[in-house]
Amino acid sequence: MPTPHLHRTVLDNGITVIAVENQAADIIAARLFFRAGGRWETLDQAGVFHLMAATMTKGTANLSSAEIAEKVESIGAELGVSAAADYFLLGLKTVTPDFPEMFALAGEILRSPTFPESEVALEQQLTLQNIKAQQERPFNLAFFQLREAMYPQHPYQSSILGTENTVSQLTPGVLEAYHQHYFRPDNLIVSISGRITPDQAIAAVNELFGDWQPPQTEIITPKLPSITAQPSRNALPQQSQQSIVMLGYHAPAVQKQEDYRVLKLVNTYLANGLSSRLFVELREKRGLAYDVSGFYPTRIEPSQFVVYMGTAPENTQTAIGGLQEEVEGLRETPLLPEELQAAKNKLIGQYALGKQTNAEIAQMFGWYETIGVGIEFDQTFPDAIAQITPDQVQDVAQRYFSVSPYVSLVGPEKYISAS
Amino acid sequence: MVWTTLQQITQPRVNTPFPANVFRLNNGLTVIHQHLPATPVTVVDVWVRAGASVEPDNWYGMAHFLEHMIFKGSKQIGPGEFDWVVENTGGMTNAATSHDYAHFFLTTAAQNLETILPYFADILLHATIPDDEFLCERDVVIEEIRSCQDDPDWLGFQTLCETVYGESTYGRSILGTEEQVKMRSPNQMRCFHRTHYQPENMTVTLIGGIEQEEALSLLNRAFAEFEVRSECPPRTSILAPIHHKIARTELRLPHLEQARLMMAWTGPGVDKLDDAVGLDMLSVLLAYGRTSRLVKELREEKQRVWDICGEFSLQRGSSLFTISAWLETPHLQEVEGIIQERLDQLQTQPIGEAELARIKRLLMNDYMFSTETPSQLASLYGYYNTISQAELSVTYPQRIANLQAEDLQRIAKRYLTPDRYVVTVMKTL
Repeated sequence: MPTPHLHRTVLDNGITVIAVENQAADIIAARLFFRAGGRWETLDQAGVFHLMAATMTKGTANLSSAEIAEKVESIGAELGVSAAADYFLLGLKTVTPDFPEMFALAGEILRSPTFPESEVALEQQLTLQNIKAQQERPFNLAFFQLREAMYPQHPYQSSILGTENTVSQLTPGVLEAYHQHYFRPDNLIVSISGRITPDQAIAAVNELFGDWQPPQTEIITPKLPSITAQPSRNALPQQSQQSIVMLGYHAPAVQKQEDYRVLKLVNTYLANGLSSRLFVELREKRGLAYDVSGFYPTRIEPSQFVVYMGTAPENTQTAIGGLQEEVEGLRETPLLPEELQAAKNKLIGQYALGKQTNAEIAQMFGWYETIGVGIEFDQTFPDAIAQITPDQVQDVAQRYFSVSPYVSLVGPEKYISAS
Repeated sequence: MVWTTLQQITQPRVNTPFPANVFRLNNGLTVIHQHLPATPVTVVDVWVRAGASVEPDNWYGMAHFLEHMIFKGSKQIGPGEFDWVVENTGGMTNAATSHDYAHFFLTTAAQNLETILPYFADILLHATIPDDEFLCERDVVIEEIRSCQDDPDWLGFQTLCETVYGESTYGRSILGTEEQVKMRSPNQMRCFHRTHYQPENMTVTLIGGIEQEEALSLLNRAFAEFEVRSECPPRTSILAPIHHKIARTELRLPHLEQARLMMAWTGPGVDKLDDAVGLDMLSVLLAYGRTSRLVKELREEKQRVWDICGEFSLQRGSSLFTISAWLETPHLQEVEGIIQERLDQLQTQPIGEAELARIKRLLMNDYMFSTETPSQLASLYGYYNTISQAELSVTYPQRIANLQAEDLQRIAKRYLTPDRYVVTVMKTL
């Protein structure tokens, strides 16, 4: 079903504007994306965009940190800045009458942050602490370990926070340099959804950003190492109640759309929901886990196909075998037509359910534009999923699941050491 | 027409009109419906007054374990079959259990509801709880308990609640321990189910792209027959301890990268909703957002905490007000002292106009942002109807608007005592 009232336009200075009119509630959500984020960081400056996001609301040419917070919170709006592997985002939600004021503030934050030294120092300390705190959870430890093994010398290797090593060396000067380079109108996508007409939305963007001219310089495209499979088994001993067992396979970037869609369907079949294969076989029938699932993130660069579970330490080896068997079994045994159909229905139906709030709608279209698949992806994706055949599933399984997986384990030493 | 036999019981009790309709079916089941013509999505959320608070004395973990077993089906519907039907038509389903409730929800495209609803009602009302499935699912519940025990924040909150509420209702662990769960039997569970999954204990909310007539007709058919009633052993009512001074517990854990300071005060039940809403406002005033008093002072200016947040959770009998900080061990005492001083200040100095306006606007907008989707509405109405009545949910913005600085000062004085509270401190081993 096409989204009604969806408009896309590119302004003279290169800003892409996406507008969805939705009169359902007296709310407007905006998502302002830059093509920046973890993927654009050098390895020794990992975490720079996260730190930039954390300090961006803490001082602009005209406003202090306290003044910015006061403006947002006294009006009861939601405004947040964050960085991810494939994008940099300012998200905003207001009741309709407050939108112009908050949107203007968003413009000021994005265009003229000052990165005050004391605020950078404070957020840097908080980030370093956050990096340490992440390690309190066994799931995070297992996932960090898996990423390090799968992405050597690659920005997807570390979390968006960066590492203690890299973050401790960041300075306001580094933030400024990154900001100056990547924050330009032809690198900006503004996506707005809510009680606002497309004309009003485009006019608002023009008014705020129309005078912003892109520099002559080219934007640096990161040169990333190619990913080759070198599966390894990594184990981190820890006194815990459960073992976390995680398996990873290299998987295609979103730009390889045909393989991408088939693997999204495979991920749905195996790992999404209470009727998924892993849930039914390993939890419902065998009682091995409470949390057993998997994910295949949509990424600009080569992604990863991950399955995992938390299980009693004595079941560690059984869990590895069970997960591997379910994934790799797809190479040999084609899906039954009804299994395939069920997975398609689930993926297509749940995809539609993911676009309910204004924030979700603005996020989705802006994100598609940012990662280079375009807003039409929203319409082509469900139809293309519906066309997938059992042979295609088997073919993709043979190509991506033939090399043995990277294995990452966290749990009591006795059970996770190689048998 | 099917619903001419129904009695509409909605009578707005306050000035805010309630946008949904409340019905009672002939068998006593409460149904809440709201038609949202703009959305193709429909949500059904079934709330049962069968949380941990009605478990018989020694039946620890029963309500939550039963929530798992509901999905194992009925005579007509095999284990996992309901999940398959929902997801095969592109929908989603899940459930949750707390002290005051267990609730089960599904989100789906409106046109699928006719197919799915009979399955949903049948597994809820006629769960068979097969012995072999019971044994297998017990392992799953035990894994859930284990994963919680690897989560320091869960452990801390559990300890805090036990200290606040002792042996009374809200002090009881919802999951139970591994040993306790192993003592449950399928027979006990059937008894618990047949005692509590009865019409007078249940509220079904149906919100979204379905008109009233069709919604009621579907619900009336699906939720017609209930099981023959059983009677569980009684639950002894135990009063919550009264804390005459500061009650302190300390937890030491391995792999802790930062200390925690968790402070708690009990608030009123839902019967004093204005006081509860006032406490919600005070929790925002103290520790939500960068302009809030404690975040500003302790995170931004003095830099004594990594993070600090306030939370207020409304419960039927006794709500809970907490302030939690993540910090370095050497700062624990100083930070606790500063929080005490700020609470003391609340009791003696009225809140200024600008600050009051800020928290009011923030909470009223937040209310609007949290009532955007059918699932948010279904959950809001269902919860309020379970602990009191659905119509109260929409009075929230009006109550916020009415509360003034002197009200908040009185509420702070009454509940947020700087010299009587519960505190749990977590440190690394």
